This record gives sequence, structure tokens and C-alpha cells, in this order.
Amino acid sequence: MPTVIVDQQEIEISDDERLNGIQVADRAGIDIPRYCWHPGLSVVASCRMCLVESGRRDPETGKVSMIPKLVPACQTPATDGTVFVTNSEKVQAARAMVEEDLLIRHPIDCPICDKAGECSLQDYHFEHGQTERRADLKPFTSRRRPLGDTVTLFVDRCVMCSRCVRFCREVSGTSELMVTDRGAHEEINIFPGYPLANKMSGNVVDLCPVGALGDMDFLYEQRVWFMKSHDNVCTGCSTGCSIKVEENQDQVYRLKPRENSHVNKWWMCDEGRYGWKYVHDKRRVTEPCRREGNGYVNVEWSELPSMLDSELRKAGHLAAVLSPHLTVEEAYMLAKYIRDIDPTALLALGYVPVEGEDETIGDGFAIRAEKCPNRRGVEAIVARMGDGLVTWHEFLKRVGSEKVDAVWLTAGYKTDWNDEQVAETISSIGTTIVQDTFPSPVWDHATYQLPGASFAEREGSYVNHDDRLQSFKWAIRPPAGVKIEGQLYWQLLRMPGLFNARKVLDEISRGIGFFEAAAQLVPAIGVNLKVNQLAK
Amino acid sequence: MSNFEPVLLANIDKPDSHTLRGYEANGGYAGLKKVVSQMKPTDVTELVKTSGLRGRGGAGFPTGLKWTFLPKDHPGPIYFCLNADESEPGTFNNRILMEEDPHQVLEGLIESCFATDATTAYFYIRYEYPLAFERCQSAIDECYQAGYLGKNILGSDFSLDVYMHRGAAAYICGEETGLIESLEGKRAWPRIKPPFPAIEGAFRKPTVVNNIETAACVKHIIDRGVEWFQSIGVPKDPDNPRDAGSYGPKLYCLSGHVEKPGCYEAPLGLTVNQLIEDYGGGIRGGRKAKAAIPGGISMGLLRDDEFDCPLDFNGPGKHECLGLGTAAVIVLDETASIVDYLHNCCRFFAHESCGQCTPCREGTSWALKMLDRIKAGRGRLIDLDLLLEIGDSIGIMPGTTICGLADGAAWPIKNAIRKFRNEFEDYIKQTNPNGHMETRPVPAMELVQIV
Amino acid sequence: MTRQMTSDKILTSEMIAEIKSYFPRYPTRQAVTLPALHIVNERLRHVPLQAVVEIAELLELAPAEVQDTLTFYGFFKQDKPHGQTRAWVCRSISCALLGGEEVLEHLCERAGVKPGETTSDGKLTLEFGECLGACEFAPCMLADKTLHKCLTKEKADEFLQSVK
Repeated sequence: MPTVIVDQQEIEISDDERLNGIQVADRAGIDIPRYCWHPGLSVVASCRMCLVESGRRDPETGKVSMIPKLVPACQTPATDGTVFVTNSEKVQAARAMVEEDLLIRHPIDCPICDKAGECSLQDYHFEHGQTERRADLKPFTSRRRPLGDTVTLFVDRCVMCSRCVRFCREVSGTSELMVTDRGAHEEINIFPGYPLANKMSGNVVDLCPVGALGDMDFLYEQRVWFMKSHDNVCTGCSTGCSIKVEENQDQVYRLKPRENSHVNKWWMCDEGRYGWKYVHDKRRVTEPCRREGNGYVNVEWSELPSMLDSELRKAGHLAAVLSPHLTVEEAYMLAKYIRDIDPTALLALGYVPVEGEDETIGDGFAIRAEKCPNRRGVEAIVARMGDGLVTWHEFLKRVGSEKVDAVWLTAGYKTDWNDEQVAETISSIGTTIVQDTFPSPVWDHATYQLPGASFAEREGSYVNHDDRLQSFKWAIRPPAGVKIEGQLYWQLLRMPGLFNARKVLDEISRGIGFFEAAAQLVPAIGVNLKVNQLAK
Repeated sequence: MSNFEPVLLANIDKPDSHTLRGYEANGGYAGLKKVVSQMKPTDVTELVKTSGLRGRGGAGFPTGLKWTFLPKDHPGPIYFCLNADESEPGTFNNRILMEEDPHQVLEGLIESCFATDATTAYFYIRYEYPLAFERCQSAIDECYQAGYLGKNILGSDFSLDVYMHRGAAAYICGEETGLIESLEGKRAWPRIKPPFPAIEGAFRKPTVVNNIETAACVKHIIDRGVEWFQSIGVPKDPDNPRDAGSYGPKLYCLSGHVEKPGCYEAPLGLTVNQLIEDYGGGIRGGRKAKAAIPGGISMGLLRDDEFDCPLDFNGPGKHECLGLGTAAVIVLDETASIVDYLHNCCRFFAHESCGQCTPCREGTSWALKMLDRIKAGRGRLIDLDLLLEIGDSIGIMPGTTICGLADGAAWPIKNAIRKFRNEFEDYIKQTNPNGHMETRPVPAMELVQIV
Repeated sequence: MTRQMTSDKILTSEMIAEIKSYFPRYPTRQAVTLPALHIVNERLRHVPLQAVVEIAELLELAPAEVQDTLTFYGFFKQDKPHGQTRAWVCRSISCALLGGEEVLEHLCERAGVKPGETTSDGKLTLEFGECLGACEFAPCMLADKTLHKCLTKEKADEFLQSVK
């Protein structure tokens, strides 16, 4: 096993790993500061912030010989016997100079800059910078330049790391961003008439190490130190990008991608990134109701479990429509509950929204046509716990021919998913329990209207297009005391205490072969369910 | 020394020296014929390597050795770039070679391409040399017609195309990877090394970048042999295994405060004194010398008591200069202001910095602003220490920048302030009697504009 | 995602043919960027944004990529043509030591423009240049293809007369 020495710590790496100084130092718990290097982009070593001392340790004698000059850690491969020194006086002096250099012309906009609190320039200044400002004060300008609909540029804050330009050339393949002019006059710009408008444009804001690039959606909305970050999974399509939901006091402010080399690398698309507003849409339904006569009366959440339970046990032939927006755990619990009451209950997969075609952007990022996160997972539940897979369209047909007395319909879609005709078909069923987030024709004819959770309020797991299962916890509490699907089903199944998604997943992975790989604790990057299926 | 028989400049005064007819009348292309018919590429490389020829573009890297870095048995294509972007202030020898004896350069280029198995050569010429461009393009056309270029040169299976590629007034295009980026149609931001151009250069293929004068030397080494080449100049120091010697003739450019500025050919190792007195006619108007730049402004500054410095690859370094550079000597007499000199240098480097890496982009800009302020009578004594700190910290030698432009920017600062500190201090004290002791940043904040 | 700047094309078929004649010289289209910029600049005395769009199309690049390269050099004017004569007065050390900066100042004053600007009659653009590589003739000036050597204020005045 190759051994790399970082500040006298011995770090073993495996034979097939190609790591640079920054990555190997990371394993030693040492954070080498950097602006321009990013694992998803080409190496340019231009910021010069990651300069370290490097050398070799002779394998026979153990003697260390160091290169007399500093080298950028980002372009220095970590091989067997490589020595890195990240904290010598020489290194510290070089870092302080780079930091000082970047601050000379940088407008001190911190009080009005979004990036404050998550800004590399700020952080590195405190950790590695000079103790006093020695540069002449100059008139500071802080110009703003729109780059497109999603991103704006504060020109003078830019530190010329060129990450954004490289992203547009290498990852999205759209090359909208450019550097203009030369030397200290350089600026980031777009060509007039050709704005930054690719489907992954928001990623450049993540990449920008300072507050030069601003996200129009998030601009001036919230200070980062007030927000809490929660690992989650995007529900925009079946790619299932790993994301973070950042919120303050149950208000979502933004989504950011999480690194996952198996799914989305470091990126997410704009559709997913900016597609969370519906969580706080005022039109969201929040009051559980029961139809009485021509109108509806409110029902207490505390009364609902027993009310629904007795209703369903009286009904006869039951059906459940499991939305591809439900988590695996929610789908399982509802299916189990319904089939417990009626072992012949008709289980169906809910409506699967499909828009356009699967699209691959630039160097391979995929936005899929299937606009829901968990069709694979819910489908597996329906197929194995029901009598084979029944799709939404088949269900609608069977409602006509088969006698269904009560149906529990789950939804939770972002967009309209049914119309009057569908509502009429559903209404032929005696008792309809509709659990959804927005009103719709089906909702307006339901026997029981149950407000459901949005993705940010759910807890559980999704299975993406590639059979990767990812688990997550809730990020915000639902509005106005809404009881999320998971909690309601947990109560209906008379499980003790509060809803615990992991316990449900334990049960699922023991009982259903498709989910066997999820028996162990699911890591942050998820688990590939196919691993076990090949054996079957 | 001034009786050295010119080799590189031997024919420039002859009529039609820039034409094929004129060139062949002086024995031109006999060497190429010999190379193509009797030698193998590795023979030529070995010859050039043994000769000890070091690049004339400024870095002085052994030419033959650079050629051996090309991967063996590469399927190709291999590219050759001739660096005619001569932009180092004070330097004009390449211009003269291209205008007056382009075939000499071309013959050396074709022989170099033969040695390195290059199939396409790009002649990257700065835009400010319109006459040189015309003469070289014309010479290339003549070569194609005569069968010295194109397919199956002189009946061999060696084929070569040479294309002229014009720059657009950017000094950094003279840096080998800056040149390559510019050739590829991008902004001329030099590349990080490794990979080196010999492995991954133009269009990501193996590439050799050589200077005009270097190519001309190749022609003469082939014509006259290694012994002849090594009989000229300064041999390697037998006690120093790292010394590669300073062999061969050199074109020295002399300008500034001398009676006879011009391009003079002499063996490597000529001293600054000899160049000024024996070739340059002495300081203009019989004045006293004050300082001299040894090899283009990037190399720094010599005091007049350092004029015994030999102009070879080792000499300037012994006087705290960066190196020989382009051997372009610029003389400053007693009337010259070192403050103005340094301001001029800082202005040049701030203008030409490519802007890619932080220490150079910000350091050169900061240095210029300080010099602006000093010249405007608002300098502080502490500025000199700040300037020295910038000078000592930027460059590929400390490892803080991607290319050597920063070293070129640093050396004038270091040499000028260290060798002429008194002049700077006097200037600052006299022009800023009330503020030169200030140590806090000079308040010049006028308006904060948020647009 | 492209949008036309105007519907009038700027590149003539002759320019396009010349640009295309450079394609076989290089393994990539992008390498024809500088030659294409020079081809347009030599005829139009500037490279307007619309021309950049058309060059980009020919070279199969995004306009931003061509513009990036163009602006790096500080050589190509874009908003309007430079003067019929474009004269670069050297300001580097050898020329400065022999009075080059004073000559530039004198020229600018007489011509009534600052460096980089064009006279109102469109005849002359004065620029400062960095070392023109003719230091033996310092102070010097490159006016289009002509090198003016050993400039004095008198010679500068003569030059201004000649471009009127």
C-alpha cells in the first residue's frame, strides 16, 4: 500500500487511487486552502493558495529530501514516499501573500454579500492571512452584472479562480462564460446576447469560492449562519441527485447538491435546484376534512386514525394507490396496512409524471424524463406486496370493471396530475381517501381529504433509476400540524412511539429481496440494490 | 574581441541576403542536403546535444537535451514551434535575422524538425514585425518551390509544412506554453508543468518550442561541426558538474545611452564593458555610465562597477541578476533616473501579466501602483520594503507562480532597490518631505461605488 | 442557444474563403481564431461583436470563446474602426531612455487625442506600444507597416503632416 507522509502523518492510500496533495491531506485531517482546484474540474493551479512544500522519502534510507521551491498541492500527485509539509513558515508566508493579494482590490462587501459565512476569502483570511492591511486603500467599486436569469455577477469580488468558466466549458459544455481582458483588468463576462442559460447554470454559484456569483433565487434572502443544512434527495426526477435542504425555522431557502460519485457527482440541475417553491405555496392544503353532504367538515388529526381504520374495515374490497413520491417505507407501510385489512386489496402504482425525453448534458449529467424520485422503489413494493404490478392507467380501467369499495390514494405531486374525468372514475368508488399536497378535481370529490407531506418534510428512502437507494431525514416540519404519511401509517399500524423510518427499512430489507442490500445502515451516498439482485 | 568573424550576421549586408538566390549563393542549404541524405534524426539530435547549444530565447536550456524529451516511437504528429514573438524590451536580434537572413533560420528550423520528427512547424511571429513577416513568408514560399519544404523534401521521406502564425501584441505569447495556448486559439495563459510540451504540447501532442537564434545556430553547428561551435564561447567549468557551458556565438543587442546602438555578434562571454566600449562606441556624449540591464529588462540591473560581468549563462547570476536572458544590454548613463527605470519596468510587467495566477496578477499591479504613487511624490520609505517583499516572493523560482514572467517582474525591483537604495530614498524624501515616514496605508479612499 | 445580433452579416464571402483556407493548417478549428481575427481586422480596422459571432460559427465555437481570446490581446478594437493609420509609439525602456515618452506626449498633444484614441477625421489612431523590437533606432514608432526610426519632435510633426 503506497504511503504518503503529510506533516509527518503516514497516510496509506490504495494502489489504484490517483490523489493529489489536497486530497491526501484531507485524509490526514488537514485542510489545505484552495480557490481554483475542484475535483470535478481540470487542474489549473492558478490561485496559488494551495502551495505546500513537497519532497520524497527514500524507501531504503528513510531520508527525506525536499524540493527547494513551493509546489501547488493540487497538481502534485501523492505517490508512495511523497512527503508534504503544509504548515512550515515558508508555506504560511506564501499563503498569507496570496490572501493579501486577493484582498487588495476586493471590495469589502461582507455586510451586503450573500457569501459571508461560507466565503473562502473570509475563512482563509482569518486562518492564514496577514494581520494588518498594508495595501493602499483605493476607491472600491462593486459592480453588478446580470449573467442570465439564474445567476448574477458582482464583478469586482471575483478572484479569477476561473472555476465558473471551466464549468461551462468542461461540464455543461455550453461555454457561455468567458474571461475578458488581461492581467489585473480581467473580468468574468458573457457574450452580449448569449446569457448563461444552460440547465445546470446554478452550479457555478456553488463553485464560486467568494461572493462574486450570486444565485438570483437566493439573493439577499437569508444569512447562511441562520440556516441548518439537511441531507436529502432531489425529487425532481428519477436521477435522484443527493442534495442538501437548507432551512431556517422550517422555511426552506435553498437546495444545494451533495457530492455523490454514483449519482450526480457534484452537481444538480436548475429544475431540481429551484423547484422547491411549492413546498411553501399558499395553495397547499393543510386541513384534514371529511365530506358531509355537499360540503366538508374539519377533522382532528387525533381522531383520524381510528376514523379511517373503522371506515376501511367496514368497506369490503380495498385499493391503495401508491404514489412514486412516497418513500419506500411509506409505500410499504400503507401497502401492509391495507393488505392486512383486505388480503385481496388492489395495490397500484400511482401516476408517474413523464415530461419530454431523458437528457444528457455536457460531459454526462442526466436530467430524466421521469419527474418523480421513487418509481423504482414503489414499483417494487407494489409488485411484491400486491398481486403483481398494476400501473395507474390499469388501475383506472379496473376501477370500472372491478368492484372497489374504498381506495386510499396517495399523491404529493408538484404539478397537476388529474382532471375531471379521472375524478369521475375515482368517484365511482364509495369511499375515497385522498392524501395530497394541492387541491385537484380528485381532491375536490374525495370522501376524506388528508393533507400530505412535501419532500422536505418526509423521512425515508427513494430508489432512483439506477436502483440506488438513498435514505434521508426530514428537513422541515410540515405546515400547520400536517401529519406526514409516514407518521400516519405508523400510527395506523399501531407501531409504538414515533415514526422511525430506519426500523421500517429493516423490516423491508428482511422481507423483500429487492431491498436486501439496505439491511445495513445506508451510507450518505446510498446503496446499490443491484448488488444483490445479480445473485438472484 | 571586436574582431570576431560574424557567423549569424555574416551575410546580412550582402545584396539579396534575404532571398533564396542570395542565400544559396553563400552556400545555403548544403547542410540540409547533407542532413536529409546522409543522417538519421537521432544523429542530428546527438550532434546538437553534444555541441552544448543552449536556447537563445532567454532560459538557456540545452537545446539537444530538450529534443531528447520527446517520446520515442511516437505515432505523431509532432509539432515544432519557432518562437519569433521576441518582445523582451531591449531585444531585436531575432528581428534582424528574420528580416535580413530568414533562410538561415529556416534551414536551421527544417534541420531541427528533421531531428525531432516534427511534421508541422508553426512560425509564431509577433504582429509588430511586418517586414520580418513578409520576408519570412516569402522565404517559406521559396523553400516550397525549391523542394526544401513540403512533401518528400529533397527526395527523402521527410515531409514538413511550415506555417506562419501572427501574434497580437502580447508579451506572454513568448513563453513557450503561452505561445502554445495562443497558437491553439485561446487566451495565452501559460500551462502548468508537468506535462511538459515535449510530452503534451500543441494540440496535446509532443511539441518543441525553440527560439529563432537557436534555430540559426543549429544550421551552423551542422555546417561547421561541434568542435567549431565549442571553440567559441566559455567552456564548462570542470569543477562544476551542473555547468553546461556557454558555447557558440551570440547576438548581443545594445541600446540605450550608447553612441552606437545595434546588434553585434561575438562569442558568449563578452563582458558588458567590452560590448559598450569595443562595439558600442562608449557611453553617448562621453558621459559616465550608471547602470546596465544585462539581458532584457527581466534580468534586472547591473551597477556600473559590475560592468566586468561576462555575458554568458553564469556571469549575470554572480551579480544578483536573473541570468543572461536575451543578452540585450540596455545602458543607463548618469542622467538616467533609476526610479523612472523601475517605474517603466513595473508598468511593462503589469501591462503584460497574463493575469492567471494571483501573485503575479496582483503583485505586478500593486508594484506599479506603488511606483505611480512614488513618482507622483506620495511615496513612503516603507514602500521600498514592501516592493522588495513582492519581488522576493513572486516567481517560479520560489514556486509561487506558473511561469517566469513574475521572476522577470521581480528582478528589476530587487536589483534596483537593493543596488540603488540611496537614490530611491533620496527621491522619496525629496518629493514627499511630509509623508515619507508614514507607515500606515496611504489613505486614498475617495468614493465607494456600489453599482 | 443563439441569437443573431443583427440580421446583416459582416463577413464577406471573400473573408470567409480566406478564413477557411487556414483550416488545413491546424488540427483544430479553434486554432484559426487569431488568423480569422486578423483577417477581419485588416479589412474592417476593427472586429465588431457581430463579426465575432460569425467567426465563432465558422470555427464551431461559442462566441464567448472567441471574444475571450480577442479581448486578451488588447489589440482589436470593437466598437468602431481605428484610424486609417494606426501608429504605435514605443514606451519601453530603451525608447524611454531616449525620450520616447516625450515624443508620444508631443504627438498626442498635436493630434489632439489620448493614447488609444482616433482623431476626429478618422485618419490616425495613436497608441502606446511595448518594445517594438527596434531599440537600435530608439525612440521608434510603428505606423501600420512602416517603422519610424530615431523619432524627434520634428520628425513626429512631419509624420503628422503626412497622415493628414
